[in-house]
Amino acid sequence: MTTIATNISLYDSLPELFAEQIGGASYPEARKAAFERFQQLGFPTVKTEDWKYTNVIPYLKNGIGIQLPAAPSLSAAQLEATGLLLPDVYRLVLVNGELQPQLSELPPASKVTIRKMSEAAEEAAFQQYFAKSKKLDEHHFAQLNTALFTDGLFIEAKAKTQVEQPIHIIHLYHSTGNLLVQPRHLWVAQPGAEMQIIESVAGLEQSGTVLVNSVVEAVVTERAQLSHYQLQTSGQHSRFINQTLVQQHGKSLYNNYTFTLTEADLVRNNLNVSLDDERTETHLYGFYLAMGNQLVDNHTSVDHRMPNCESNELYRGVMLDKGTGVFNGKIFVHEDAQKTNAFQQNNNMVLSPDANIYTKPQLEIFADDVKCSHGTTIGQVSEDALFYLKARGIGDVTARSMLVKAFAFDITAQVKIPAVRKRVEQLASQYLTAAANN
Amino acid sequence: MSAEQDILQELAGREYEFGFETQIEMDIAPPGLNEETIRFISMKKNEPEWLLEWRLKGYQLFKKLSMPTWQNFELPEVDFQGVSYYAAPKNKVKYESLDEVDPELLRTFEKLGIPLEEQKMLSGVAVDAVFDSISVATTFKKQLNELGIIFCSFGEAVQDHPELVKKYLGTVVPQSDNIYAALNCAVFSDGSFVYIPKGVRCPMELSTYFRINAKNTGQFERTLIIADEGSYVSYLEGCTAPMRDENQLHAAVVELIALDNAEIKYSTVQNWYPGDKDGKGGIYNFVTKRGICKGHHSKISWTQVETGSAITWKYPGVILQGDNSIGEFYSVAVTSKKQVADTGTKMVHIGKNTKSRIISKGISAVHGQNTYRGLVKIGPNASNARNFTQCDSLLIGDRCGAHTFPYIESKNNTAMVEHEATTSKIGEDQVFYLNQRGIDSEQAVNMIVNGYAKEVLNQLPMEFAVEAQKLLSITLEGSVG
Amino acid sequence: MLNIKNLHAAVEGNAILKGINLNVKAGEVHAIMGPNGSGKSSLASVLAGREAYEVTEGSVEFEGKDLLDMSPEVRAREGVFLAFQYPVEIPGVSNINFLKTAVNEIRAHHGQPPMQAKAFLDMLKQKQKLMEFDANLMNRSLNEGFSGGEKKRNDIFQMAMLEPKLAIMDETDSGLDIDALRVVSAGVNKLRSKDNAFVIITHYQRLLEYIVPDYVHVLYNGRIVKSGTKELALELEEKGYDWLKADIRLEEPVQ
Repeated sequence: MTTIATNISLYDSLPELFAEQIGGASYPEARKAAFERFQQLGFPTVKTEDWKYTNVIPYLKNGIGIQLPAAPSLSAAQLEATGLLLPDVYRLVLVNGELQPQLSELPPASKVTIRKMSEAAEEAAFQQYFAKSKKLDEHHFAQLNTALFTDGLFIEAKAKTQVEQPIHIIHLYHSTGNLLVQPRHLWVAQPGAEMQIIESVAGLEQSGTVLVNSVVEAVVTERAQLSHYQLQTSGQHSRFINQTLVQQHGKSLYNNYTFTLTEADLVRNNLNVSLDDERTETHLYGFYLAMGNQLVDNHTSVDHRMPNCESNELYRGVMLDKGTGVFNGKIFVHEDAQKTNAFQQNNNMVLSPDANIYTKPQLEIFADDVKCSHGTTIGQVSEDALFYLKARGIGDVTARSMLVKAFAFDITAQVKIPAVRKRVEQLASQYLTAAANN
Repeated sequence: MSAEQDILQELAGREYEFGFETQIEMDIAPPGLNEETIRFISMKKNEPEWLLEWRLKGYQLFKKLSMPTWQNFELPEVDFQGVSYYAAPKNKVKYESLDEVDPELLRTFEKLGIPLEEQKMLSGVAVDAVFDSISVATTFKKQLNELGIIFCSFGEAVQDHPELVKKYLGTVVPQSDNIYAALNCAVFSDGSFVYIPKGVRCPMELSTYFRINAKNTGQFERTLIIADEGSYVSYLEGCTAPMRDENQLHAAVVELIALDNAEIKYSTVQNWYPGDKDGKGGIYNFVTKRGICKGHHSKISWTQVETGSAITWKYPGVILQGDNSIGEFYSVAVTSKKQVADTGTKMVHIGKNTKSRIISKGISAVHGQNTYRGLVKIGPNASNARNFTQCDSLLIGDRCGAHTFPYIESKNNTAMVEHEATTSKIGEDQVFYLNQRGIDSEQAVNMIVNGYAKEVLNQLPMEFAVEAQKLLSITLEGSVG
Repeated sequence: MLNIKNLHAAVEGNAILKGINLNVKAGEVHAIMGPNGSGKSSLASVLAGREAYEVTEGSVEFEGKDLLDMSPEVRAREGVFLAFQYPVEIPGVSNINFLKTAVNEIRAHHGQPPMQAKAFLDMLKQKQKLMEFDANLMNRSLNEGFSGGEKKRNDIFQMAMLEPKLAIMDETDSGLDIDALRVVSAGVNKLRSKDNAFVIITHYQRLLEYIVPDYVHVLYNGRIVKSGTKELALELEEKGYDWLKADIRLEEPVQ
């Protein structure tokens, strides 16, 4: 059953906005179909099972526009000032989803094809994979994105190429009022290709709040490897609803690292991985911090559709202040997916009397020759460990902070790129130290 | 594989062991649900006006409420108008001694393995047998009376202890809780009532066997157990129903109330007709069971062994309101053939230092679908709340399913919650090991399953544990493959 | 007692045993040695009836009956016992209940009534003493949480309880320390009689110092390539298997 929340201005204004946009837009057929589907689905309410703990309706109320303002011209110094630059990477800078070539350092075209999404129609891989992800039509916001996305990045790593340096995508958002920005990306690793993608995000001078509704479709084809880092590290006055839809072909590897260490009010990550052929490997790591009045919601799902695949998921969160954390992890093992190994672990620390955590690890299993498990914990700093540290002369505040950091660093230690690891550890450390001293 | 496949073929068609029908004259209400039906039931049971009003209110809620949509199975269409809501043996209802009971009826119980006479002498179990709605025999009443314990049919309690019934009825499961609970409020037939006075430790297990017999009669019993301060009671509920082709609805409500320092242990062995191997027939077991630890240091423990029914859909829960109270849920659910079980618990922590423990063991065989669905909720005032959940699934055969949906909600930063779940196939190595010691596959699977379920079976009183083990074996017969 | 003729077996289509011939008489102890992957454990598995192993050719007679025609449990009831290389853990199933079930199944097979509890307990105590088996392990779940040595000792204890005619010991010595090895071997020696037989599969000669075999066979590439007396084991210990491999390669037709 679909519950449509209609008493909000954005929903009401969308048909008109859509009619205005569709005229000159790319891919009109896909957009029309998606908009129809979105109108059936509406915005999710708390009665929608997947949005039970995350009420987005209040975030959609105050007159949100979808017309993007002109991108401000940005100097290299301004870019540097965001603090997001990383060493030894290819760099793709986007403002409100649009590639800024003058600020970017592209990887060699012999290995990687980079296009704006609005200009990718001729690419074979685009035609093959765009808007084809399984479960795309289940996501309310993804449908809205397909209908009204502005631009984004088409990235294709060519077959059997190894892209040595990570590709660093810097998403910058700029607004002159309350704004809905809808970037759309399609990344394809062709057979045997190896690629690493890092996403960072920051707001430029903004007035009003930006609601980012982004969709990444990623296809990791046979024997290809994609490591994907989502560094959700900044963005006051921002709200993020991210859909990451991954398809894996045979013998492929996909690693996802999602770090939510942000000041945004709302972060909702939907990460769906569909294992479409045999002998794939998937690792999903996440660390989230919910502070202030933040709501940080990670919904992940792994669909084991074929035999002999392995997935492994570890998410940890720390809830501070009046923060609310939500975790929902679903492992779905379809009838044919014999010899599946699927593991999932979610650990939470709640460090403030006003913080909340809602967690729901799910297993849905329709094959018998499987090994699946999940574990969830909610707790605090271990009293035993605390006592041990104190007995060695370490003060209470320091000891607590050490233990919480250790909790977080189990995840950051999984990061394979030193500069990325350093950044997330510094940020986590900074927030947690501040919290410990409060 | 093929030899085991043969066993499967041979045994999948095994007949339901308790599938026979007792020929007794019945007093049956015409099928259909309306205010008249409810007034008829209330009149037949000679109920006071307030209870009739309460039933009618339940009926109004039933009409308003809609069917849930969140369950993990296809909810079959239930024709509420096609069901008869009252069926009672026509003969006299009360018996002074077992000699007066219809011999046919006694034989029925004997076939079920609960010979009342024997039990009266040997087992120390007082049995309040519910035969299609009406209590026909209550033993050990005298001994319980001396302790001030009230153990009677719900109907008798309404007549003899209206003040207690009125005080507690509907206080744990609100009439509006769900559509089936509302239906039960409107048409409940009979059930058991237990009151344990202050400081009394009930010296024996109290037990009821429920049984659905007449065709097309839904069973809507209602159980209310109140353990007053410092008291203790262990209550056993066993269920078997004879074979039917039509699906039959069972929508019971059980309410438990534990006051300060009281403890209630409620055990269920459910073995209703599961339907045949094609999914034809079988009971729909849609039951609302909930207890409240109202007093401090109180404890409620649910143990269930669910082997029967075409669909089992229930979540015995505990509201941990009193400080330092404890809630427990131990469950074994087996689904074979085309059975579906969507079951689990709700532990709602409200008071301080409350603890809950959940051990769930699901076993899915053949085409059975087994879902654990649970809620652990820690309220903002539930300081130092603790929960531990272990939730395992065992799969036997490649066409069955095991699903886990635990909801964990914490609004208190001193809470500690731990949830673990595993799913795995029955170990081929284990079966072979037992084969190599001379034990055939069928029995090997039984041993492994019983071992797997042991932590739960151990919670049952001895005589129940033995029966439960037998039922596990019966349910799983023919599932090796 | 056991007569294996030209036994061929395969797992998932890969030939593992390629023509084994072996004759074991009552009262004899045969050791089967060979390098890793030669098919030693596969032979044990085929004899016990593990499902993954498909016999493609040849025959196995046990006490004049066709062993290959029997299900694993019937083989066990007829008196074939496999001491596992890796005894399996079965949580929640008590050791004692398991043993009682097994003993009575075997008795039923031979038309004997189930053993009364008292008689069973007496037998249990007697065998515990004989095998130096820790009584505390009896009430625990079958092998659950047992150390490697405890599991092996439990298997040998089961052998004492079930009194098989033919015991196949699949690398029982692997993972045992010297004390456990001594206890296990002593147990086996106590069970040796003129009426039963042992097939001992081992990688090392060490076990054979404790359980002295009448015959030693070398299994290589799915076939018995050399047979001899206990001296052969010593020779193997000294020279390894390589000299044999070289010999065999010369004899073997080009594949």
